[in-house]
Order: sequence, then C-alpha cells, then structure tokens
Amino acid sequence: MNIITCFKVVPEEQDIVIKTDGELSFDRAKPTISAYDLNAVEAGAQLREVCSGALIALSVGTGSIDGPKLKKNILSRGPESLAMVADDRLKDLDTHQTAKVLKAAIEKIGEYDLILCGEGSSDLYAQQVGTQLGQVLNIPTINSVSKITPSNGKIVVQRTLENEVETLEITLPALVAVTTDINLPRIATMNHILAAGKKPATVWTLEDVGAPELSSTIEVIDTRAPRQVERKQDIVEGDTDDAIREFISKISAVLAK
Amino acid sequence: MRTMVLAETQKALAELCAGVSQISQQVEAVIIGDQLKAVTDTVWHIPAQENALLEDYTETIAALIKQEKPELVIVEPTKRYKLIAGRIAAMLGTSVITDVLALGEDLIAKRMVYGGAAIRTEKVASGCTIAMVGSGIWETKSVTEVAVREEKPVQFIEPVNRVTRIARDEKEKAAVDLPGAKIVVGVGRGIAEQKDLEMIKQLAYAVKGEIGCTRPIAEAEKWMPKETYLGVSGLMIAPEIYIAIGISGQIQHTVGINRSKIVISINKEKNAPIFKQSDYGIVGDLYKVVPALIKHFG
Amino acid sequence: MSDEGFDVIVVGAGLAGTVAAYLLGREGLQVLLIERGNYPGSKNMTGGRIYSHSLEKIMPGFAKEAPIERKITREKVFMMTEKSCIGLDFQSSLLGIPGSDSYSVLRGVFDQWLAEKAEEAGVEIITGICVDDLIIRDGKVCGVIAGTDQIEAQVTILADGVNSLLAQKAGLRQEFRPDHVAVGVKELIELPAELIQERFQCNETEGTACMFAGFPSDGRVGGGFLYTNKKSISLGVVCTLSELTKGQKTVPQLMEDFKAHPAVAPLIKGGRLLEYSGHLVPEGGLSMVPGLIGNGVLVAGDAAGFCVNLGYAVRGMDFAVASGECAARAVIEANKGGDYSESGLQIYRKYLDESFVLQDMKLYCKFPHFLETTPRIFSDYPELLEGIVTDMFVMDGQPSKALLKTMMKHTKKVGLLKIAGDALKGARSV
Repeated sequence: MNIITCFKVVPEEQDIVIKTDGELSFDRAKPTISAYDLNAVEAGAQLREVCSGALIALSVGTGSIDGPKLKKNILSRGPESLAMVADDRLKDLDTHQTAKVLKAAIEKIGEYDLILCGEGSSDLYAQQVGTQLGQVLNIPTINSVSKITPSNGKIVVQRTLENEVETLEITLPALVAVTTDINLPRIATMNHILAAGKKPATVWTLEDVGAPELSSTIEVIDTRAPRQVERKQDIVEGDTDDAIREFISKISAVLAK
Repeated sequence: MRTMVLAETQKALAELCAGVSQISQQVEAVIIGDQLKAVTDTVWHIPAQENALLEDYTETIAALIKQEKPELVIVEPTKRYKLIAGRIAAMLGTSVITDVLALGEDLIAKRMVYGGAAIRTEKVASGCTIAMVGSGIWETKSVTEVAVREEKPVQFIEPVNRVTRIARDEKEKAAVDLPGAKIVVGVGRGIAEQKDLEMIKQLAYAVKGEIGCTRPIAEAEKWMPKETYLGVSGLMIAPEIYIAIGISGQIQHTVGINRSKIVISINKEKNAPIFKQSDYGIVGDLYKVVPALIKHFG
Repeated sequence: MSDEGFDVIVVGAGLAGTVAAYLLGREGLQVLLIERGNYPGSKNMTGGRIYSHSLEKIMPGFAKEAPIERKITREKVFMMTEKSCIGLDFQSSLLGIPGSDSYSVLRGVFDQWLAEKAEEAGVEIITGICVDDLIIRDGKVCGVIAGTDQIEAQVTILADGVNSLLAQKAGLRQEFRPDHVAVGVKELIELPAELIQERFQCNETEGTACMFAGFPSDGRVGGGFLYTNKKSISLGVVCTLSELTKGQKTVPQLMEDFKAHPAVAPLIKGGRLLEYSGHLVPEGGLSMVPGLIGNGVLVAGDAAGFCVNLGYAVRGMDFAVASGECAARAVIEANKGGDYSESGLQIYRKYLDESFVLQDMKLYCKFPHFLETTPRIFSDYPELLEGIVTDMFVMDGQPSKALLKTMMKHTKKVGLLKIAGDALKGARSV
C-alpha cells in the first residue's frame, strides 16, 4: 500500500506572543509539525509495518517549511521520504488553496493508495483540508477515523461520531482524516533521528507542480487577542476554616439565585 | 438575504433556523426524508434513499446550492457535516468558515484560532458563505414545528464515491447536556485520583450542577468521557455559573468557559491563571474546600 | 546496534560539549553531539555571565555575532542584612576591554547559537535524546546507549552536567555530596531596555553584575545575584544543598524575601516574570573534581566540577569552554596515534594543568571549605558591617563617640581573634 501522509508546518504555539495592542507576534515561534498530523504520520508508519509499499510525507507552505530540523523531525517518524512544495507565494493559504496545492503535489508524486491527514491543524483548526483534498482528488473521503485495518486491497475503518461508532469498508485509493484517538505518536529514537538525515527529501516550487490556479476564497480581516472579560477577581487567600467560611458566604449569594 | 440550513439533529435545526433569522429574512431548511420536522416556511426536501449514509447526499446538496445560489448556508457542526461541508466547499471552489463565534448580516464571521489565543475575523472572498455554527451562538428562543407553506422537492444525485457501512454501534451517550446546564462544575489536574471524582459528583449534586472537565482529564487520564471536556477543541459553554476545581486556567480550557456569567475557582496555587479569569475564588486545598462546600450546600 | 560509527560522541550540548564538538568537527573528525533537551540550552541555566577570554581564543570576535545580552562594565558586591545593603561598586572602562571582558547571557539562546556553529563545522547534533548508559567492553568505553539504541565511537566525551550519571557509570565519580553542590533558582524579569539603562545607569550595550551575601541565603552558605540583560533582569539566589536542610526557609521563600528586600525591589519594580528556573551548581571546588580520563572517555565542564565561586566572581562557563577545548585537543592528539586508551588520553590532564582551568581550581581549592566552616561570613559579618556603617552615618543628636571605639564595640560582639583568624584563613584560600 503506497501511502502519502500530509502534514502542516505551524508556528510553535507557546512561543506566540500577544502584544499590548492585541496583535500577535510570531517572531519567536519556530516552525514545527502540527500536533494532530503526528497522529496521521504514525498511522501511516504503523500501516507500513503490516503492508509493503512506500510512505511519503508531504507538506506545502512558504520557504520556512524547508528547514533541516523540521525535515529530520518528520523523517524520524517512519516515512521513507519527504516531498515539499516550499514557495513564499504560499503564504496564509486558505483550506481550498491548500487542497489544490496538495493535489498538484500528489499528482506529481504519481501513484498512491491511501492519503492520510490529521483532523485539523493545531493553529487554525478549520478541519477541512483533508475533506477538501479528497473531494478535489475525486476519491472516497472519510473523516473522524479512529482505526484503520487493511483488508484485501481495501481498508476497513472505525469512524467515531457523536453518538455512534460506524465500521466502514473503503475501496482504494481513498483519503482518511484521523482523530487523535487513533494512536500515540512515537518518540523518535537516536537511530531513527540519525537515519532521518539520510532519507531523500524533495523540495518543489509552485512551477514544479504545475502552478495551479490559486485565488483566495477567504478574506481575513483581522486576527487579534480577544479582550479579556472583566472579572471581579474577589479571591480569598488560604484555606483556614475562617477563609473557607468567607469564601462560602461570598458564593452562597451567587449560587442562591 | 437567503439562507439554507443543514442539520442532523432537530435541536440544532430549530436553533439554527431561529438564530439565523436574526440576520436573514429568507430561511430555508434542507431536510432529508422525514428524519427532521420542518421549522421554516420553506423546506427543500431530498427524498430519502435506501441504505444511504448522510454523506451520500453530498452531491445532491451541492447541486442544490449551486442552482439556488443562497448567500448563506448554515451547517450544524457534526462530524458528518464537517465532511459534507468540506466536500461541498471543494466542489463549489470555496472554503467553509468553521466554529463560528459570531456572524453578522454583513456575513463577516469571527472564530477562534491559535488554541484560543486569538479571534480571527474573516469572510468569504466571493460567492456563497458556508458557515458551521454551534449551539448557543445566537441567543434566541427555539422555534417549534410549523406548518410548511412550501415544500420544494430536490432531485437526488447519485454519489460518485460511496463507502460501505459494515456495522454501526451506538455509543454510550453522555447523559449530560453540558451546553444546556445552568451550573457546571469543572475538574482539572488538581484532582489526584479518579476516585476523588466521587467528591466532585457530590458537590455537583449539592449545587444542582453538571460536571465537565479539562482536556487532560478526558484524553490523557480518561477519567471522564471525551464529550465532557471543556475547551478550545471540546465543548464551549456559557452557563450562569462555572465552578473550576483544581484547574490552573490555561487558555485552551478557559476559552471554553469564559462566556459564563460567573466564574468561581478553587486552586492551591496563588498564581494560577484561573484566578484572573474568576469572579470569586479561594487559594486553598480543594480536598479541604470541597467537603466544606458539600457540607454547606448539601 | 547501528552501522553508524563516529570518531567521537559528545554527550551534552552545553558549553563544554559544544565547544569540544566544534573543534573536533573543524578538525575533520566525525562527531555526534547528543543533547537530552529539546534544543541545546533548554536544560541549562546560568546566573549569569560568561567571561569571554576562553571562547575568544577559540572564536575571535564571537561577541559581535553571538546573542550575548550586555557587556558587564560595572561590578557590585554587597553584604546584605534584612535591613541593609553595604557594598563595593566598581565602574570602569577597564572592565570592558575585548579579550578580558564579560557578558550577561541567556543560555537558551546562546547555546543554540553555539550549536549552530558546531553544525556548520560538520558536527551531527541530535536533540531530545537522553543517553542512559555507556557501552563498556573490556574496560573501555566504546559508545553510548539511549533506550534500545546503541552507537559506537572511538572516544566519548562526557559533558553531561553537574549531576553526570555517565561519569558515575564510567567509574570516574561517585554520587555528588550535598555539600559539593548548590541549588540556584532564578527569575527572568522583563523590563524595557530604557528602564534598565536608567536604573543601572548604563547605555544600551552595557550592564551591571551584582552579587549579594548574607541575607539572600538567610545567613547560610550561598548568595544572591542580579545581572542585567538587554530587556530583562536575571535575579536569583543560590544556597549550598547541605546548608538548605539546616535552614528554616525553602528556596522559593528565599527568593521571595530577596525580591522584596528594599535594595532589590526598586530595581525590578514593574517587571514581568518571564521565566522561573532552577539548577544545581558545582560548589565543591577541586575536592569534587572526579577522575577525568578513562579508556575511551573524558569528562569536561560541570560534569568535571569545573566551577569556581569566590562570592565576588562566579565562573563556570569560561571553565567549561576551556575544558572543552582541552578535551578536543587531547582527542586530536590521541587520534594521531590511534590510541584512545587512558594513557593515550592522558594528555588531557596536561592541557588542563597548563591552563587556568586546573591552576585556578588548585589555587582556590581551600575556598569552599573556608566558606563552609566560616558561617560568620553570611551572618555575623554582614551584621558587623551594618553596625559599624550605621554608627558612622546616623546622627541621632547624642554626643559622638570616637570612630575606633564604635568599631571595637561591634567587632567585640563577634570577637577580634575570630575576625583575625577568619581574615587569615580567607586570605590564604584565594
């Protein structure tokens, strides 16, 4: 089974700084692999352990995704090789644009049986690139998958929904978006990290993948920190009997209503 | 402005139709078969197909939207509809605006990004706006069943790619309706062991509240069902009163509860971020405070 | 087992490890540098300040390129009591001469820069991996073990910090004694650069280093420190581990009280806490230096106990850099003869003896013991000084007394003989 696992490079969330005017600063936030995509890569790696074939990791973004530490990171998690479309014109893509670029890259890679995606990206969490990508590739597409089992040239998946878990059989090629329940992403060992440095990584420009038409479908007007709700902050310090009594009397009035 | 509404559950259909009518005069529900009862004057009726999954109606709904060109399509944010909406957006050459926090007549939407650290204001560049809107975003009384004045039939279109359902198991439904609860008690990592949840249950009972938790309690420890975790990728609630117990107050959690009218917290760390987001609180050991609360309110 | 072989494996991407790796990489050897933190520097902490001379030797002009904070051109040393702060304030352009100057640094940033230099020199760096054990065959260290993975090398340099478990596994050292290490905690407090420049009266590239003795460690062996960074202040306390257990206050409490002291509080007023960190510091001096050389193995940096704390000067980073350099030179020599045995690596000791590293460790070897056995330095002497100076400066309207008499009044409380004895002992130990 030839598998392509898609991942997004996002700014390290804890290093995003909120400036006094509410604007966000990404200066200190290094590029890293979106957490939910690690589940997708791991799912690909685990499938590869039971089926023969290739596992390729794929990502699209600006030139900043083409970083040696990042490439080593993804390659130490199971894929044999890595493909990237790294082009500064791919800044702030919306989900539809992302799907189109991924499609172009996948068509360049050629043959595939299964495409794996995370359920959403950890930064913007629109939860759509997987589903849009499957549609533009015109293949069976399913999200919310918590288990994948190969079965006679097809796959059987467990899909966890709000009130039910359904078992579906899907013909290949197909696209599956996985949940975080599906597995625990591995911690790369020393040898995996060393070997990662030697695996092939191909970096393409937009022209290399056929320069797909990419007009924006979403206009972002603003991104800023929300104004904090003003709270009373009436805090009792300490848990002596008196302090607890004081606390209780304060909240009794509120809870009584 | 004309809006079509897609929903899987009756509750959401009613809520969304009533809510969006605040910004749109013409609201039309899209109903498949007779699973849901109409709550709008005009209903687009897709005949139910045998053994079809909801996803099998994607092409049909997309064609309807292409043909009728409503300015706005509101969708219930279920997992199935996230898939369907994404696929429809791909077919129409647009993107869905998901987890909408606010949506105005100008079709400018607000949603949370960066784990709750920021709010993004955006709109579609052109064409139809497809927006996924959760419960409680529009404050409105639910509309009950109405007599349909106009039922418009929709031609079913065969799906191109079908999957086969082999089995279907009902999940043990969380008997809790957290978004609807007036009082919610939240537990976090301050709880040392699963058995200590008993104490929290007693407190919730005493104050007549429901119980929710932070993500680690549901996902890492698995002490409570996933459906009860409150936060940026879980539930977003706005109860009258939220009582945070042993919760430090990380932003990924607080964005899920900071629309509460009153926030009360118990934490033993003086500098826990939760206190800045609370109206009332006590810096103390929850194992001392909670039993005292149970005694007082019980 | 990996089919990868390396010439050298360096464990720990702190200053000693990274410098050793850099020099060996530059020499063309296959070097693997393994760091357990997610990035070099993530597990390191300094007060702190680096004396530039040893790194200047290896990378001339490094300060122009490296992410240093401020050049230290003002030194302050204080004795501190609960109410007072008495000290020495040395401000001079003599402090800022290139080659003998010093800089405040933040390790997370600085170590990463140094690691990038090592990578440019051809060193392979792995992060996020903790080396658990050494591969030892026939009494020779042949490589390292991390989890289920093993990697072999001709020689392994252990630069894995103050609590080097690997040096123990190599049979070169014992577990550290609580009187040989100190616990240091630090707060990184954000302040606008202009405010720092105003409060410390310096320009935007220069800054101040302050050391405090007495009150910060509640009268026990230890002290407080303050360093100015570009846009923040590093503020902290250090206390010898064995002393902590004797005292009443916890380390967090020591920190809170130090911050609230009337001489400190105004300097950090309005600041925002960016980071809180803690670390162990070698304090034992020469007596804690373990075996440094074995078959196929060398020990450098904090793992070798190479730190000197004189109260007015704290040195660890320049020692780490120099010992890393000596280790690299030793490996290059051993490589020539292909002899990585203990005798083949013995030249490491020679290089250390020739440099300030072991010479200074020997010079100051009595100092830690002197501090430990003279608790008066941290309690009585600050109070003595406070008493004398107070009498000098406070005019209460009473008829004055002769200066000598007031001094004697205070010194007699401690005891002239004791003071003399301490002075002699102290003078001999530095």
